Amino acid sequence: MRRAMSSSERLVALTLAWAVAGAALADERTPAQKMAHESAPAQWLERMNQALTTRNYDGTFSHWHGGRVEMLRIIHRVQDGTVSERLASLDGSGREFIRSGASLTCYLPDQRTVLVEQRPPDESLVGFPALNDQTASFYDIREVSHTRLNRRNTHVITVSPKDEYRYGYRLWIDDSTAMPLKTQLCDTRGHVIEQIVFASLTLSAHIPDSAFKPEVSTAGFKWLRNESAPPALAAATQAWNAMRLPPGFRIAARSAQTLPGSADPVDHLVFTDGLASVSVFVEPQRREQADQPVPESATVGSSSAFSTVIDGHKITAVGEVPPDTVRFIANQLKAQEPPPVGSRRP
Amino acid sequence: MNEELDSQLSAMFDDELAPEECELLARRLSRDEQLKARWGRYAVVGAAIRSERGVRLNAPLAGLVSAVILAEPALAAAQGARRTGVRWWQPVAAAAVAAGVAAVSVLWLRAQAPLAGAPLSAHLTAPTATAPGAAVVPAAAAGAPDSYVVPRAPAVRAVVPSTELANYVVAHSVFSSPVTRRNLLSAFMTGEAGSAAEEPRDDAQGNVQ
Repeated sequence: MRRAMSSSERLVALTLAWAVAGAALADERTPAQKMAHESAPAQWLERMNQALTTRNYDGTFSHWHGGRVEMLRIIHRVQDGTVSERLASLDGSGREFIRSGASLTCYLPDQRTVLVEQRPPDESLVGFPALNDQTASFYDIREVSHTRLNRRNTHVITVSPKDEYRYGYRLWIDDSTAMPLKTQLCDTRGHVIEQIVFASLTLSAHIPDSAFKPEVSTAGFKWLRNESAPPALAAATQAWNAMRLPPGFRIAARSAQTLPGSADPVDHLVFTDGLASVSVFVEPQRREQADQPVPESATVGSSSAFSTVIDGHKITAVGEVPPDTVRFIANQLKAQEPPPVGSRRP
Repeated sequence: MNEELDSQLSAMFDDELAPEECELLARRLSRDEQLKARWGRYAVVGAAIRSERGVRLNAPLAGLVSAVILAEPALAAAQGARRTGVRWWQPVAAAAVAAGVAAVSVLWLRAQAPLAGAPLSAHLTAPTATAPGAAVVPAAAAGAPDSYVVPRAPAVRAVVPSTELANYVVAHSVFSSPVTRRNLLSAFMTGEAGSAAEEPRDDAQGNVQ
């Protein structure tokens, strides 16, 4: 004879059923859903990106890399859909970077040079890579603590790479504003290689135009501009593509442009894994460049650059990734036949 | 040094200076060696005076910096040779250096206008202008559970990036994520680009909790 279940037994059974169903559902979640569920870490990254690109702020921060620390000031404003930004070194070089809409100006007092790059007006200046399913596959994103930093409640989010092709991050994100008060860039072994910490940060409703004027005196400076219209992409005679890419990277953008001080068109390809990005510039090798040593490597902070020559073209990869990653991507570039007339390029 | 500046230093140390003035003074401290030295001396005196009625320092910060100072080989050796235990001046000196560390690193986070969510209004003190390699305070003070690695300080590099590299960096920055873009441009602004041959060795020494 079967005994009827008591109410408490039914409750236990129901709970177990929910648990089993929940586990089954969990197994069927896509990586993006899993990331959303485990949640909050990835959402905090999205909120932080949103805050950094849409808020008005004026801050002073220390930048540490390679045993050196310098103070910089950043002013960021979004007004009537136009992004203005000014980044200036307060300590050493006196360099300044000013963005006003599609115009990017870089003041280099140490080279007595000003670079002015006019981006295409329709290009989104906040078109940064977005987290996606693949991002969760190549980074382990966790909230490791919820702590007080500088008397502010912050979420400490770690973004750990699962392979050697990318860097990791530790971010102290302010609970109320989602602004990152402190950022550490870590190598593949988790060692801190670059750090930014805000010393002061003001979130303003209004920032005047005068805040975006450079302090650099440019008398006698050489001005390099790219005012000539970039060639139409379809006019390119060759299409350059990467034969192989590091896991998780995909092409995100492609454009043809001229760089300040140069009349030659440059193909600009952008690869991203959702967090890190690598630009590859392809240009015909000029005669005067023939004497330059290639391949050639350089670093800008923890970012890497690598140049080589392939089929008479100079290939330069730049990105916030380890040196081996830019080297890998640059060496994979190959020219392909132009697409048939009428076909569309990616 | 003029009297007004001295008075400002004093007020800043006592946490009685207006935030706007603190910001200006902190900037000046970060680049004025004479002022920094003055602050260091002032901190020693201030800490000694305050030790009689309780040093007004961020306790975890002071403790951590004290620990770092006492862990210095020179100090440890001197301590071992004397075998007299911790002398009276060591906590004061350690606290004074801690104050110095905190001094050049004053943080304010405030909103000039009401924002959605909680209003921001705080006068904050934090170790910000210190290099992670020089002081392990930031991560530890924040209570981060993970260990903090002190990378080896490389030789100072002063290779100026070529205009060509500058072009690439600026063009690439448009497509970077906000955080990585800030890192990239900050590094570029500080002018520390160098050739790969000068890349610092990456063998970190020591984990400090």
